[in-house]
Amino acid sequence: MADNRESKPLMTGYMMSTQLLEVDGCNRCQECMKWCPTFAVRPDRPGITPMYKNARWRELMAKNHSLRAKIFGGKPLNDDEMKIFTDDTYSCTTCGVCGTVCEAGIRTVDLWEAMRPNLVDRGDGPVGKQSFFPKLVKADRNPYQAKQDDRLCWVPKDAKVDQSGEIVYFAGCTAEFRQQALAVATVRILNNLNVDFAMLGKDEWCCASAMVRTGQRAVMAEHAVHNVDALKDAGAKTVLFACAGCIRNSTVDWPRWYEGYIPYKSMPLSVFLREKLRKGEVKYKIPLNYTVTYHDPCHNGRHLMHEIGRDWAYEASRDCLQSIPGLKLVEMVRNRELQRCCGAGGGVKAGIPDLALDMAKARVIDGEQVKADIIASTCPFCRRNIMDGRTDAKSSIKVLDVVELMAASMGLDMTIPENPYTKYQEQDVLVCGPEKCEVDTLERQAPGKDLVGEAH
Amino acid sequence: MAFYTLGLTFEIVIFLTVIVLAVWAYGIYFNFKKWGLGSTGYHDPLRRSFWLFLATWIHEAFKDGIWVFLRTVVLDVLLLRRTLARSPVRWVMHMAMFYGFLALAALSGIGLLLDIVEHYNLAGYAHEAEMVKDMMALPFDIFGYLLLIGATIAISRRILIKFVRDNTTAYDALLIGSVFLITVTGFYAEWMRGNSFLVGNMFEYPIYAPHFALIHTLLALGLFAFILPWSKYIHVIATPMTLIANRGGE
Repeated sequence: MADNRESKPLMTGYMMSTQLLEVDGCNRCQECMKWCPTFAVRPDRPGITPMYKNARWRELMAKNHSLRAKIFGGKPLNDDEMKIFTDDTYSCTTCGVCGTVCEAGIRTVDLWEAMRPNLVDRGDGPVGKQSFFPKLVKADRNPYQAKQDDRLCWVPKDAKVDQSGEIVYFAGCTAEFRQQALAVATVRILNNLNVDFAMLGKDEWCCASAMVRTGQRAVMAEHAVHNVDALKDAGAKTVLFACAGCIRNSTVDWPRWYEGYIPYKSMPLSVFLREKLRKGEVKYKIPLNYTVTYHDPCHNGRHLMHEIGRDWAYEASRDCLQSIPGLKLVEMVRNRELQRCCGAGGGVKAGIPDLALDMAKARVIDGEQVKADIIASTCPFCRRNIMDGRTDAKSSIKVLDVVELMAASMGLDMTIPENPYTKYQEQDVLVCGPEKCEVDTLERQAPGKDLVGEAH
Repeated sequence: MAFYTLGLTFEIVIFLTVIVLAVWAYGIYFNFKKWGLGSTGYHDPLRRSFWLFLATWIHEAFKDGIWVFLRTVVLDVLLLRRTLARSPVRWVMHMAMFYGFLALAALSGIGLLLDIVEHYNLAGYAHEAEMVKDMMALPFDIFGYLLLIGATIAISRRILIKFVRDNTTAYDALLIGSVFLITVTGFYAEWMRGNSFLVGNMFEYPIYAPHFALIHTLLALGLFAFILPWSKYIHVIATPMTLIANRGGE
């Protein structure tokens, strides 16, 4: 039997009353349209821009909450209208540049993330493969259908990783199962710097970023509480993240769901490494003669700059890159709080992959315009998507993580030990000799694709 | 010179003013109640309350303390810092319209009070009230021109800049057009009285000046009470409230 969705009014339950105020606060100045990276690649769809989304939400709400509705009764919501609104709302990567430039000071990321669960509850959202996220994560505690017992299967035998300690490295699902070069590089650097650190192993659950971003909050509470408790049990005082999605969730989202005291601070790995650089503990051996541009991940930049400060959000990674001998850092035209999103976030990579790809290509062009050999980032999802964009655009540009560049220049062995997930590795890697490093591309050996993309 | 025309008496005008203010106040209450359909915090239960909207707004506005609140009011609401950061031209436009509109609204309110004092000779101050009203003519002109400059920039942008023009809806056109029309009719009503600031007696036509003033007043009050709270133009109220609630935004 067909459901009776049309008769359901637009839900407002996940919106704070001040967020409903924000919708009316949009003064239609159009500034967001100039910066929206999604609209830039879909100029025929102004409905995806914040200004139009606010207007549409207002119109839909008015059907049951306007003066006319009060006098003459509410109108049912039209399914076609709702579908258009849902598509537009889910075409957003929640990158937040609209909030940065908004004249009305609307906190757009929170606003979109509050609109989406209302659509999910009403049965309109999510879109595409996004609906797999909660099922996968609930069943396996990661989105890759990998075994939790394999969380540390990539750790080299000669590496030292503790089970508890004041410093904990929270690697994240993508680094542990799909981009292990990053995880290996991180462990190698920390060992080289004589940092005693722990990892949670099978007690590390997915940060659940994808669920929050796509409005599917049901699994979130369980994962937030579990991860915070696991980190507390491990004795963490500082938790290091080399994944922008994970640190955004740890800093912003987990505390919203965790009622107790959180005794540790979340720190981007680049900030920790910069401290070591300043103390003179990092010793480089191999110059990297590449022109590198840095892509600021939205989750670690705009999403966090007001929580952790601009220096941590934007400058630490750049300082790390500039410390590498031979490396020339150049800036893309759009950088820091005005950077262009790669297109992977907000569930777009899983839900609307062709849109994510077009956005990634736009970012690759940004990199090519400044004649960069490498686009470096600190987000595995940005990396995945920009690599896909690079391949589709047939560009020669390479995509690497800041940590891997540092580890290579330090002359560390970044060989990934053979493990059940070796066949799924697909990434650019640095292959180093005693005096020189070269970028190689690791091709995926196993056919087929993941059920959901390597991106939130 | 008689201000009231077409059979309107002072009492009728006061009565209509009360009606207009009541409609406006109900419109604001209606919007506050609509915003109250939301929750009071992240994953908090729904309350559906006018009062809890106010409580939530106050809580958010003062979350970072009184100094952040004051800083936001001064820098973001009164000086439109975020607009200046993005576009100096838009900043000039908004500042001109914002302060022009606010000052004219305040002067109109004061003028109405002085009318009441003068009409009923309250405390014997009828003469003084008339003198003050005469003194208000110049500020009325200055802030009127300010509003006119802002509205002219706004219309010019919408017409001359392709990106802005392409994304202008009927709503945008109606609002800016209305503000422009109201400003122009206000000036014309003033000029028809003669001996006006900058134009002298060029447009003097005192017989019809009250009629034109009435048209201007009806348009202004119509926009103020019967359109602003019931349409997306509520942003005039909602934008400053948003800036304050978000402590200046991201």
